[in-house]
Amino acid sequence: MEFDPLLAVAILLVVAYVFFYLPAGQIRKLLIPVILAIIGYALIVAVAEMPPFGAVENPQYNHVAQRYIEEVVQETGAVNAIAAVLCDYRALDTLGEATVLFVAIAAAVATLKAT
Amino acid sequence: MEDVVVRSISRIIVPFIQLYGIYVILYGHISPGGGFAGGAIVAASMIFYGLSFNLEAGSRKLTHDVSSWMESGGALWYVFLGLLGIVMGGNFITNQAAGFYTGVPGQLVSSGIIMLISLGIGAKVASTMITIFYSLSAGEESSGDHL
Repeated sequence: MEFDPLLAVAILLVVAYVFFYLPAGQIRKLLIPVILAIIGYALIVAVAEMPPFGAVENPQYNHVAQRYIEEVVQETGAVNAIAAVLCDYRALDTLGEATVLFVAIAAAVATLKAT
Repeated sequence: MEDVVVRSISRIIVPFIQLYGIYVILYGHISPGGGFAGGAIVAASMIFYGLSFNLEAGSRKLTHDVSSWMESGGALWYVFLGLLGIVMGGNFITNQAAGFYTGVPGQLVSSGIIMLISLGIGAKVASTMITIFYSLSAGEESSGDHL
């Protein structure tokens, strides 16, 4: 089914705008299941259009994964391909994850350190 | 908890859990594991110690200063390794072109930057989990009812 995402986002934004400016009452209570049903239908249609799990012609099995598997021992010297991808090919993403850990612990200590 | 059996067993077994955690961190490029899993195992050993004794003894064993040094040190070590790549003439995080030792695959000392990054990540994850555990338990203990 053809689903224009921009049109859907525009309709949802208009509905949300109208929804927030309604006075709390019966119309609001009837509108909540309708909005949830629309969003749920959109998500189910999106999942139904996805390719089967693990098929060979999926777009994620491209030349990048093939190069990683074939050249990991020669380029990095690591036998564990996952560690090589995490710490060598995509080390910048691991640095981002380490930063997120640091920010989380700083926020937790700032909030919970009562003494 | 104040059980004699739990306390004596935890005193005996905590070093072995930490040894296993350090093994998982160090051999991250050969066997499954790596920095994150090894850091969680090391943190589990300290949480086990803090649970079997009371929290005062646990937080005296690994103080807040040492924990925050480990945390910041892990992040700074990672960024330092990345900047070494720029100093040696490559991109931000470079492995073989920046002079890190890539030896025989399968040995412990091989694959240059991967083991060093795993060490930094392991220290960071361990200190994060220990700090969260002590912050949450200390807050609950000081403000809850004593049964």
